Amino acid sequence: MTTLLQFENVSFAFGQQNILDGVSFHLEEGCCAALIGPNGVGKTTLLRLSAGLLRCSSGYISVGGQAVTGLRRLERAQRIALVPQQVEVPFDFRVQQIVEQGRAPYLRLFGGPTRKDQVAVERAMALTDVAPLAHRVFNELSGGERQRVKIALGLAQEPQLLLLDEPTQNLDIGRQVELLDLVASLRREGITILAAIHDLQLIPEAFSSVLLLTPEQRLIHGRPQDILRPEILEKAFNCPPRRHPVLVHQNLTLKAKIV
Amino acid sequence: MEVEVAEPRIFTPVVSSRHTANLGAILCILTVALLAAMLFSMTVGAVHVSLRTILEAAMAQHSVPASDATILLQVRLPRIIAAAIIGAALSIAGLLFQGLFRNPMADPYVIGSSGGAALGASVGLFLLPQFSMLGFSTISLSAFAGSVVTIALVYWLARTGGRTQVVTLLLAGFGVSTMLSYSTYFMELLNQNYGLGMSVLVSWFHGTIDVPRWTQLAVAGGMVCAAGSICLPLARRLNTLALGEEYAQQLGIHLEYTRIAIIVTGSLLVAGAVSLGGLISFVGLVVPHLVRLVMGPDNVRLLPVTAIAGALFLVLTDTAARTLLAPTEVPVGVLSAFIGGPFFLYLLRRTKREYKL
Repeated sequence: MTTLLQFENVSFAFGQQNILDGVSFHLEEGCCAALIGPNGVGKTTLLRLSAGLLRCSSGYISVGGQAVTGLRRLERAQRIALVPQQVEVPFDFRVQQIVEQGRAPYLRLFGGPTRKDQVAVERAMALTDVAPLAHRVFNELSGGERQRVKIALGLAQEPQLLLLDEPTQNLDIGRQVELLDLVASLRREGITILAAIHDLQLIPEAFSSVLLLTPEQRLIHGRPQDILRPEILEKAFNCPPRRHPVLVHQNLTLKAKIV
Repeated sequence: MEVEVAEPRIFTPVVSSRHTANLGAILCILTVALLAAMLFSMTVGAVHVSLRTILEAAMAQHSVPASDATILLQVRLPRIIAAAIIGAALSIAGLLFQGLFRNPMADPYVIGSSGGAALGASVGLFLLPQFSMLGFSTISLSAFAGSVVTIALVYWLARTGGRTQVVTLLLAGFGVSTMLSYSTYFMELLNQNYGLGMSVLVSWFHGTIDVPRWTQLAVAGGMVCAAGSICLPLARRLNTLALGEEYAQQLGIHLEYTRIAIIVTGSLLVAGAVSLGGLISFVGLVVPHLVRLVMGPDNVRLLPVTAIAGALFLVLTDTAARTLLAPTEVPVGVLSAFIGGPFFLYLLRRTKREYKL
């Protein structure tokens, strides 16, 4: 297994505030990692650093052996796709038009989309099952549908690394399961996934490893069964012991072992 | 016990015909309409020249009385072409600015870019009336500069956290425009005091298409063509930009370069338009909006249709301006405000409900 994403002693400060402090980890090609941690701990920042949208204040981030900040803009966008939490579109763009934007990194300055771009868009829409929505207006979709369209856009970029920021946020349980299935199928496609996620109970099902970002700006990386332990989570999330139903009633660790 | 199973919802594509409108067909129809409107406009005015005479003049000039030929070629034709250029330029500029601000209310007049161009032009006229560079007169050059500075300023003022709220955009545009128009008025006073006799500025306020000299037309037309030719790659980027800054950046778009390119291109268009016709309001708002209703929001498809529709709109408006109260001429800016103003207010009303930006 080769390393795809590597963080080496990465720090990031926003003004006076240290958000990440000496974070190191690496993700192997084809793995599917969940990034967890309390609100405001810097999960989105970590994703944006991985996508090369932010520059770390110190340390080194590489994707496929090359420094992220050393990649040319378009090359970076062809390798890494970030699916943000929120997207607002001011005009009535159709779903297909939205997904087509994923090909922007491949278009030449004066050239239009080619057959190859079309194929990539169709494939991305088929994988995420949004083809039937192709002509719907994006702004009129439900939360779950939007989420799938956003992922389709990311897939149209044909990235090696897919970064998802809270993909299950605001989804009902049915749509959460759909999304997990989608993540599993993407994993089978060999796409490396790093997803910031709050729904801990969903992790054992779909993810092969867990990155826990703690308020002390430390990062713990391990298998789900090693990280998803009530004692570790209660401390990291500053949650009173034996109070949260997910930690009390669901034996996450046990579930993780079975999977 | 039987459980009633809901019928699976059969997917019906919601592609309404208005969003798959055939680009080629619409371009053809609009081009024909534009040519027809221009021909019609040639016939009307203080002296009625029949369509037949005009067509004959086009074939062989000698069969037309010299006075008619002068009216047609030196008076009406340049003005009609000017109207077409201005209409196209303002409409494309409106399209660009709406994409840049990610806000359907942006318009060269509303956001003060036209005002900036007018102030720039009047400053140029006051300071260096004789100067010209590469064939571009002071007016066009300083109008361009004025427009660039204004849009950059309004953009900077109106943005909060990567977005422009309708309210902040309109307020910033209003504030800047007001300052600009009174500065322009002040320049006008100075001009009078120093006896430079630049009465051009008054008519600029109301947006009047004077009968331009052919050289003027060539300069403005050149500016508009230059800008129009770099609009296609910009239109693609506007589509990506519609997803928001973070997305655009993620997709490999250089935000700063793209913004600068849009501001410069839009300013070229506005400066070209303002140097021909002064401040004409709302064209850049009404036309892209109507075209978007038919063509959908894809800027690549919108661009050519908007340009021709804009030309058609202003040729018709200017023809009406020349004839409605003949022999008195209504400034075309007045008419476009009469048409565009209510439309703008209607959009504002709708915006409150629909665009939560």
